[in-house]
Amino acid sequence: METSIQTSSFFWVIIFGYFTLVLGFGSFFARYNKTTQDFFFSGRRFSWWLVTMSIVATGVGSHSFLKYSAKAYEHGFSSTMTYMNDWFFMPLFLFGWLPIVYYTKIRSIPDYFERRFNPGVRVLATIAILGYMIGYIAIGFLTMGKTLEPLLGLDLYTIIFIVAIISGVYITFGGQTAVIFTDLAQGFILIFAGIIVFLMGINYVGGFSIFWNALSPEFKLPLAHFNHPANFNFVGIFWQDGVAGSVGFLFMNQGLIMRFMACKSVHEGRKAAAFNVIVLLPISTIVVSNAGWVGKAISVVTPEAWNTATKLDHVFTQVAYLITGSEVVFAFVIAAVAAALMSTVDTLINAVAAVVINDVYRPLVKDKDDKHYLKVAMIVSAGATAVGAVTTIFFDNFPTLYEAHGFFHSTMTPPLVVAIFLGIFWKRYNTPAAIATFLGGAVLMAIGGKYPEIFISPFDHGIEFNPERPYSYIRALYNTLVCSASGVIVGFLTSPPNEEKTDGLTVWSLNKAREIFKGGAPNDRPGESIKLQWVVKESLDDTVEISINDMEVMSADVGDMVYLSDERKWLGGLKSFHSVFGEPHNEDGKVYISQNHVDSAMLDNKNKLRAEKEL
Amino acid sequence: MLDFNRIWLPYLYLYIVGGGIFCIGMFIILKSKSLNIDRLRHKKWFYILIFGLLYYMGIHGLFTFAAIGKAIISLVIALFLVGMIMQLAVTVFTKSNKI
Repeated sequence: METSIQTSSFFWVIIFGYFTLVLGFGSFFARYNKTTQDFFFSGRRFSWWLVTMSIVATGVGSHSFLKYSAKAYEHGFSSTMTYMNDWFFMPLFLFGWLPIVYYTKIRSIPDYFERRFNPGVRVLATIAILGYMIGYIAIGFLTMGKTLEPLLGLDLYTIIFIVAIISGVYITFGGQTAVIFTDLAQGFILIFAGIIVFLMGINYVGGFSIFWNALSPEFKLPLAHFNHPANFNFVGIFWQDGVAGSVGFLFMNQGLIMRFMACKSVHEGRKAAAFNVIVLLPISTIVVSNAGWVGKAISVVTPEAWNTATKLDHVFTQVAYLITGSEVVFAFVIAAVAAALMSTVDTLINAVAAVVINDVYRPLVKDKDDKHYLKVAMIVSAGATAVGAVTTIFFDNFPTLYEAHGFFHSTMTPPLVVAIFLGIFWKRYNTPAAIATFLGGAVLMAIGGKYPEIFISPFDHGIEFNPERPYSYIRALYNTLVCSASGVIVGFLTSPPNEEKTDGLTVWSLNKAREIFKGGAPNDRPGESIKLQWVVKESLDDTVEISINDMEVMSADVGDMVYLSDERKWLGGLKSFHSVFGEPHNEDGKVYISQNHVDSAMLDNKNKLRAEKEL
Repeated sequence: MLDFNRIWLPYLYLYIVGGGIFCIGMFIILKSKSLNIDRLRHKKWFYILIFGLLYYMGIHGLFTFAAIGKAIISLVIALFLVGMIMQLAVTVFTKSNKI
């Protein structure tokens, strides 16, 4: 029988101290929330490195330490598969979806559907996306409950209730800026904590060569068996996670999209995404999985030290407890993981609030001032937390978190992912076709779910049929195909949309999107960024005035968009604002700005501004 | 048993199907001029996108060979990856801050 892990009150002092520190750090930045634009998108101001580090905490939290440690212990290095197959979609993300969401200034993903199709499709997309995000929040809460279960000895739902209250309070008052800064700190700490566990684990088993030789060759293969067993096989996971999960996370995770929209430009967003996938995901996959590998090595090298009754979802906690050897280090590791999970949940709660306010509330309650919407956003954040906590009951029925998440990806993501993809990349895709994707796709998915042996088995790639949980992963392939087929067939049978209606909303008209974003023709002449001394000029509205010579260096014209930030690069754009070039003057090295700019960017008198032409 | 199907079938499937998705993506963004390689900045992105695919193929290959005990081949792949990373760094960082 699994025993609970013994901890002293000192352990809990460290945990609470850590949480207070991290949440306090994020809350400090909540003062930058002046409008709903700041609350949800942080005013499009941040540098790529700040955003990419904050994405680590969001991604790692959601693809948690627990579920990957469990699979790593069972199946070895192939637990890394899910983090290592995102690159296939990067061309379409970096040069398709990202510029579209950024330049069209959509407030939410359903907002895109209304512009591209009509309000009816927006409703369908809103339902789909809220279902997706609430499910994600629930899995986050469940993971946190399972992390703390062996430590607290409390009932799982009591833990979830406590954690939900803490998360709800935090996000309700913090908003996106607080989340980004909390996640920034968490990103560094998580990687550090994961690497500490790995190094201490290697040390515990007696060194790297003992660790390596204790594991069988099959355990060390980076990809799982092609189609066996039913609950962890390569081809099922490729379609469930590599395709549905990765695309879902990149393209329809409103929380992540909002993070990219917080970047100061599309180029910075691209850098954040690319750096994340090339550098941080391979590191993250080791960080989240290594406890499972170390656990397996311990069970081989020192079997007497390993509790064979350990539940799979408790492998991480068990390994961390065994190898750290010190309550301080153990408390730090657990606090880092629990707080990371909270980061994921907070991001999604903020995203749910964005969708509800922009897609449901604003269309119904119009013409209110921004403070009103900000207040309602906070109430919605609290509500989303409660609904997410209740939904954990459904996901707790699965044997492991991994399988719960897999089923969730396979079922929830295909209709929206297909609609987004066809919407962005296929000009002919029209409103009836989008409705067919959602409704026809849902009906065919339900039929497939009811009769999997008839409908899904032709796509099963030889995966064994498990009557209890039929085709948990490979159903993602069937679901994606039926949603695509519904949309494509109806698209071909009906007339294509008017080209003007899709201007700027597909990859084929991105220049138009840039033009709409700027309000004029984009200026792509290469220019340089420069440092300028700022001076307030009361008569200015939303423009800034720079000298003729400085504008020449920047290759800028009157009316072009400009981004100005505090010269200290390490601030990552926290003190910055966007504006437009006004009429030039003759005082080189000087920029005239308005008092509004100073207030919104919270500028310091002693520091210069760095000016970059945007478009 | 570690036969060809166990070791290499997932690898081939991953890079044939995944690689196909990647190529379709590249085709669409190049054809639509969303990725316009006439622009210096976009040309660099073109290299980064190709690099990313080769980089992941290399990492998966490296660990597969290491798992089955082919240390020399792993080492060669590791050196190739290091070379590629250095080449990318040179491509990305050897220009001014022109936008």
